[in-house]
Amino acid sequence: MLTVLLVDDDAEFTDVACTIIEFLGHEVLTASTLAEAREWLSKESFDHILLDFMLPDGSGLHLMESLQPEQNTRVTLITGHPSVKGIIKDMCGPNIDYLVKPIQREDLESVLQGKKQPASKRSTSAITRHFGQLIGESAPMQELYKLIGRVSKTKANVMLLGESGVGKEVVAAAIHEASDCEGTYVATNCGAFSKELIGSELFGHEKGAFTGAVGRKEGVFEQAENGTLFLDEITEMPIDMQPNLLRVLENKVVIRVGGTKAMPVNCRVVSATNRSMEEIAESKVLREDIYFRLAVFPITIPPLRERKEDIPLLAEYFINQLNEENGSQFRWQSVQLEKLQAYDWPGNVRELRHFVHRAAIMSDPEGSDIELPKTIESPFAKKQTLSTGLKAGRTIEEVEKELIYATLEKVDGNKTTAAEMLGISTKTLYNRLHAYGDLNSDSE
Amino acid sequence: MDEGEFARLQKAVHDARRPLNRITMQSELIKLALEGAVPKDKALTALDKIIAGSKDCSDSLSDLVAQFSPNSNDAGSPTE
Repeated sequence: MLTVLLVDDDAEFTDVACTIIEFLGHEVLTASTLAEAREWLSKESFDHILLDFMLPDGSGLHLMESLQPEQNTRVTLITGHPSVKGIIKDMCGPNIDYLVKPIQREDLESVLQGKKQPASKRSTSAITRHFGQLIGESAPMQELYKLIGRVSKTKANVMLLGESGVGKEVVAAAIHEASDCEGTYVATNCGAFSKELIGSELFGHEKGAFTGAVGRKEGVFEQAENGTLFLDEITEMPIDMQPNLLRVLENKVVIRVGGTKAMPVNCRVVSATNRSMEEIAESKVLREDIYFRLAVFPITIPPLRERKEDIPLLAEYFINQLNEENGSQFRWQSVQLEKLQAYDWPGNVRELRHFVHRAAIMSDPEGSDIELPKTIESPFAKKQTLSTGLKAGRTIEEVEKELIYATLEKVDGNKTTAAEMLGISTKTLYNRLHAYGDLNSDSE
Repeated sequence: MDEGEFARLQKAVHDARRPLNRITMQSELIKLALEGAVPKDKALTALDKIIAGSKDCSDSLSDLVAQFSPNSNDAGSPTE
């Protein structure tokens, strides 16, 4: 339980906010002016102060002078002006946060970390998981949800295309979830088995079919009867095993290794690959006839850099999950979420999830602040820059802008170092940034 | 729009946002009442306050329109 001081001159707001704060399990006292708040501070010590920015006798900021540093009181400034947000944000130290009106219960819950366990549970559930699996509200994700919704009403086989880490298995599970089928969802990785074992994994085997086959085993096609079979890394399946798979897809019957009886199978096959359609066609890793059987309905999952607006939502979800698992109370500061959003995440959602996990491990488990590693770097980042950096058809201005931003990111926004690396004067760098309209948030 | 006009607009929007904030919080209170966390009669009071807050907000917006109307005589004068 926290002792909270709510300083706001709007009596109706104060009244109802008190009821909610008390419901959240905290003790709350109120003040409607700076003078009243100062009086409370002289008599009581508070764990948290919710402070209106504009009070009848002055700015709420003046109250900061009356705080005793050793008491480690957290302060949340409340403002009705979104424009003030920027000014407050710059002042936000580890103990200062802000809320913009209108305020909701969840906002109060997240700033008052006293009743943390239920709060984090509630905030995890507050994030919508589409089809019970997918997180994101961006336009590319809405398009994806539309495709999933449509295909789930049919029995068509689906091929998922997308870069590594975009969440192909999650999309496969979402298709299964949306399908309302009776059977189960079974996932297997075609790249994980040797040529000898993949037949047994897919189609099962009879007892004594080969050395070590001590009992009868059902293959994944049988296990997914009336459900969904997810074949990950389909393009990594040995080419000489592909005719066997084709036979199952065409005839809808399976014969176990070492067996003779053909057993009917009925499941939707969702396959996935991180190769592009062009690559599949050129590299001949997948037989054409198999491709057309599997990719009746191909779906391309967008990379994270094409849906950057979903990054804060995902980061929030991952940290809430970690909080629930570990009993911690970490929460993001908006500057940190902006930093995450600025990065391209070549390893996609998987890279983001691992990064959040790493940051949580590095942070003090007793506190709520998350310590971000100084740079967000992965071996994929370099690959990404090289592969998209220079392409014919782009203007010199575009490439120059990209190089400037890449350099700034590399040196953590230090303009002097960036200018040195770029071989231009700091003044020129400032002029360029000014021309890009990017100086307000960065240095002004 | 000059700086004075912009300041007046900012203030008018701030005044309109005030009842909106009350409405949001009263709605949260109703949710709590529906969950059984606070007495049901608080929800009824909250609904009345939401209606009153909506009227306040509507009045603030009407004032705003009146202030910035080209026919308004007091377009340049302070709001309070």
